Amino acid sequence: MDLIVDSFISAILLVISLDAEMVVIVGVSLKVSCTSTVFASLIGVPLGFIMAFGSFHGKRMLITVLNTMLALPTVVIGLFVYAFISRRGIFGVFDLLYTQNAIIIGQTILIIPVVTAFTIAAISRIDERYRKTAKTLGANRRQTAWVIFREARFGIVAAIIAAFGRVISEVGISMMLGGNIKGFTRTMTTAMALEYDKGAYTLAVALGIVLLTLSFGMNLLFHFFQGRVRSQ
Amino acid sequence: MIYTISDLTKIYGARTVLDIPRLEIEKEHIYALLGPNGAGKTTLLNILGLLEAPTAGQVQYCSRPIRYSESELQSLRKEVVVVDQHPILFTTTVYKNLEFGLKIRKIPKKERARIIDESLDMVGVRYFSKALAPNLSGGETQRVALARALALSPKVLLCDEPTSSVDIENQNIIINILRRINEIKKITVLFTTHDRSQAARLAQHTIVLNHGKLVPTMYENIFRGVLQQDQSGQVQYIIHDKIHLPITQDHIKNRNGAVSVFIDPEKIELILLAEDQSNRKALHGRVVQMIEENGKIRVVVDAGVWIALLISKKRYDETRPLVGEYIGIRISAEAIQLL
Repeated sequence: MDLIVDSFISAILLVISLDAEMVVIVGVSLKVSCTSTVFASLIGVPLGFIMAFGSFHGKRMLITVLNTMLALPTVVIGLFVYAFISRRGIFGVFDLLYTQNAIIIGQTILIIPVVTAFTIAAISRIDERYRKTAKTLGANRRQTAWVIFREARFGIVAAIIAAFGRVISEVGISMMLGGNIKGFTRTMTTAMALEYDKGAYTLAVALGIVLLTLSFGMNLLFHFFQGRVRSQ
Repeated sequence: MIYTISDLTKIYGARTVLDIPRLEIEKEHIYALLGPNGAGKTTLLNILGLLEAPTAGQVQYCSRPIRYSESELQSLRKEVVVVDQHPILFTTTVYKNLEFGLKIRKIPKKERARIIDESLDMVGVRYFSKALAPNLSGGETQRVALARALALSPKVLLCDEPTSSVDIENQNIIINILRRINEIKKITVLFTTHDRSQAARLAQHTIVLNHGKLVPTMYENIFRGVLQQDQSGQVQYIIHDKIHLPITQDHIKNRNGAVSVFIDPEKIELILLAEDQSNRKALHGRVVQMIEENGKIRVVVDAGVWIALLISKKRYDETRPLVGEYIGIRISAEAIQLL
């Protein structure tokens, strides 16, 4: 019990004093997670929009595949990307393994299905009358699509926040593709795993506090936007 | 004519929801489209509003057949606007809702502001201009939706049940708006309704639909029943096991599976019970409603089902039926049309 209380108190002090090592780790985590979220959003939002808005053969099957990919384990993605970017892989020449870029690639793959599926859900929830109204007011296909997109904006933002929540807390990809290199690819989750292995709980608990605070903030934002969707 | 429809059908799956051999809609007039639920009113409105294409047949707009190519529809939609039964406003301000269609039409900003103010004035909600659209009540939403359509100066305004989801006060306001825009802006107005009296008050023409087909008059004298042969071989049409109607061989020949009949109210004879002593074929019923309509008297009789008659003033003076009184009605085979 003492161990937990002592670690917790030390961790709080570490957070308050903005410990240099902890700040670097949080910085790396935020950098890779934000970047991968941006890339996944740039791909997933338009993809989700096209899938929800358009009608094409095999649409339902594609959505089913996408929903299945939501459950993809991070270690599977880690292994998959590793096969491509390791020295013997076809992208080996780019020397990406154990870099922040490798983590970003893996995390982007991880959350593209999240952003896409949630975007599809957000667009599908939009009342069919918006499309009809835009058309009767003279909108062309592009302008009608914009109306739908605008009406689904809160749902799409919620999709992006959910995706960020997924990457900031993942450990498999960061560990396998980043290599947990101090000051370079060490993220909050990999650092916590390492500190736990070492039996040094203070930094692990401190990072846990930061991670939980971030997750709590993200969830608050997520529920705020979900609330806006429901009130529409 | 602004619309001429010929041999139009609309089929969903195996169900024919519209089957209209011919329909003409005159420019700058107000039309009421009446019919029970599922009669095909909204489908017809969507076809006229260029939001749906017919399965077969031709629709002419301003004497030109519509070809249903996306580019043609888009340009025609700039002249025809549909206002839904439960209109939806974009989740932004009322002003921006009205601005949407004007921006599409590339109207300059200053001109847009003038048109928006004028349109909101016309429906009496100018003070809502800056309000957020989702915060409006049902009646206000309906009026803003009308203003949004009016701002575009359409040639045709198609309203689906414009007063069904609003209170009495807003109903009257909306009716007056529709009348004014027809008078002042010369917009052709077509609206669907269940309300016969509203149709009579507002519209110059009434179109009645039942089971996707045009019927000659109001749908109140349409009944569903069964054809049955008696022991003498005589075929009768029976409604609710109570009312037996005479059917001719012609009726049976022309029957194409339909079991609905329409009884022409102008061809039903009203007789006093005293006059009926010698005639056992008359139906007896109680007068439940009487109203003057275009120089005739509409009498609604409860004879097990409600049957409407249109009698001349002369016949009315002769018989002087009273509400609550029992009278006789005689329905000849000529008054019956199988649908």
